[in-house]
Amino acid sequence: MEKHTINLPSVEEFARPRTRSNFLKALAASAVGAVAGTALLTGRAEASSHGGAAASGGGGDLDIANFALTLEYLEAEFYALALQSGVLVEPALSYVAATSDHENQHVNALIELITGAGGTPVAKPEFTFPAGAFDTQESIVTLAATFEPVGVGAYLGAAPMISDPAVLAAAGSIAGVEGEHVVAFNNLTGVVPPANTTFPAALTKDEVLAAVAPFLGMGSMMDTGGEKPAAGARSEKKY
Amino acid sequence: MDGVESRISPVGFDREYSRRNFLKTAAIAGAAAAAGAGGLAFAARPAFAVHEGYQAVGDVGIFQLAYKLELLEGTFYDIGVSSGLFAGNDLAQIAAIRDHEFAHADAIASTLTAAGAEVPATPDFILPDDATADAATFLGYAATFEPVGIGAYQGAAPALTDKNLLASAISIHNAECQHRCAINILQGVVPPNNVAFETALPLEDVLAAVAPFGVTA
Repeated sequence: MEKHTINLPSVEEFARPRTRSNFLKALAASAVGAVAGTALLTGRAEASSHGGAAASGGGGDLDIANFALTLEYLEAEFYALALQSGVLVEPALSYVAATSDHENQHVNALIELITGAGGTPVAKPEFTFPAGAFDTQESIVTLAATFEPVGVGAYLGAAPMISDPAVLAAAGSIAGVEGEHVVAFNNLTGVVPPANTTFPAALTKDEVLAAVAPFLGMGSMMDTGGEKPAAGARSEKKY
Repeated sequence: MDGVESRISPVGFDREYSRRNFLKTAAIAGAAAAAGAGGLAFAARPAFAVHEGYQAVGDVGIFQLAYKLELLEGTFYDIGVSSGLFAGNDLAQIAAIRDHEFAHADAIASTLTAAGAEVPATPDFILPDDATADAATFLGYAATFEPVGIGAYQGAAPALTDKNLLASAISIHNAECQHRCAINILQGVVPPNNVAFETALPLEDVLAAVAPFGVTA
């Protein structure tokens, strides 16, 4: 696959009724749980209706892992550019350097996982960042604080749809680190207390895509309601 | 159960495949952790053995243990809140973590009840005499508690057959990871986000870690 090509798993893969309801259920549970934790875990009776993404067909774990890889690429590039900006001072510099290192390790781990399972890792897309994103430390830290919860939500939303214990173990491990990043950047942005979430929230795939679309070069298209890619073109957009 | 089905997936992961991937993941995580922060005593173990240990306990057993772990943590942080050792933003963080742990315990208890399973009695916790000797000692214990909770949820997650329980467990796992980072912040660790991969713990290691505090399976 050539560079500058985005190969996102299709939204349809994640929009099948059973899968979608599971996703929405997780999201709703997390939202409710934040208010009343007891509501979070009471879905047991319905559990047998969930077969997981893989059980309902499609690329399943490999698609999820490749989607995660795309997000990790985005984060890795963001932090690499942040480090190159020269505007960071301690302690933010140490925070960003560590986070950058983590995201790069996540990229490598996901590539190994996907390759080891016989899949093809997606190529690194070309990302776009807002004008002035790397002009100040404040801008960098604020953007980081918006990225990280999306990463957490993506992994938490996908976890119940993962069938392979190895992929699930990796997703859980990485999700936790993204959660730590949330707290770290909360601390830098002055949120008190920085660890402030009882039940970190899962996000649907659509929500994750909406959050990262501006960085994938699709933002203006969505804002204007303009031309959409033709059917079948969604997974390959060149720049 | 759907969990058994989903592990025999149609996308080409058979059991042997899974085992190999798991070993690979463990190796990646172990190498990554070795290159970064310390605390890798368990990282070298085969990851498949981690979740298989929890499989023997089952969904209900896992959540019953998790309930006791959350109560232990909540009780510990509650003592910290009332110790007088913390004030201002630090106190706010300790109190928030306490509230999280008790909310986790409440949610788990509701789940167990809804499943027709027994909610364990609150253990007689044994907290160290010097737990509140000073702020640094208290935070030192906190820094040892959190990775146990993280390791337990992370190790147990792939063993859970019920996908709703999995969704809950993985959310709580994330909260515990956030606590680990928060404790680092309170301890003045820079950067506080200092691991690239969280580490799963085998069940026996979790039990060994919490036994001194009065928690048994």
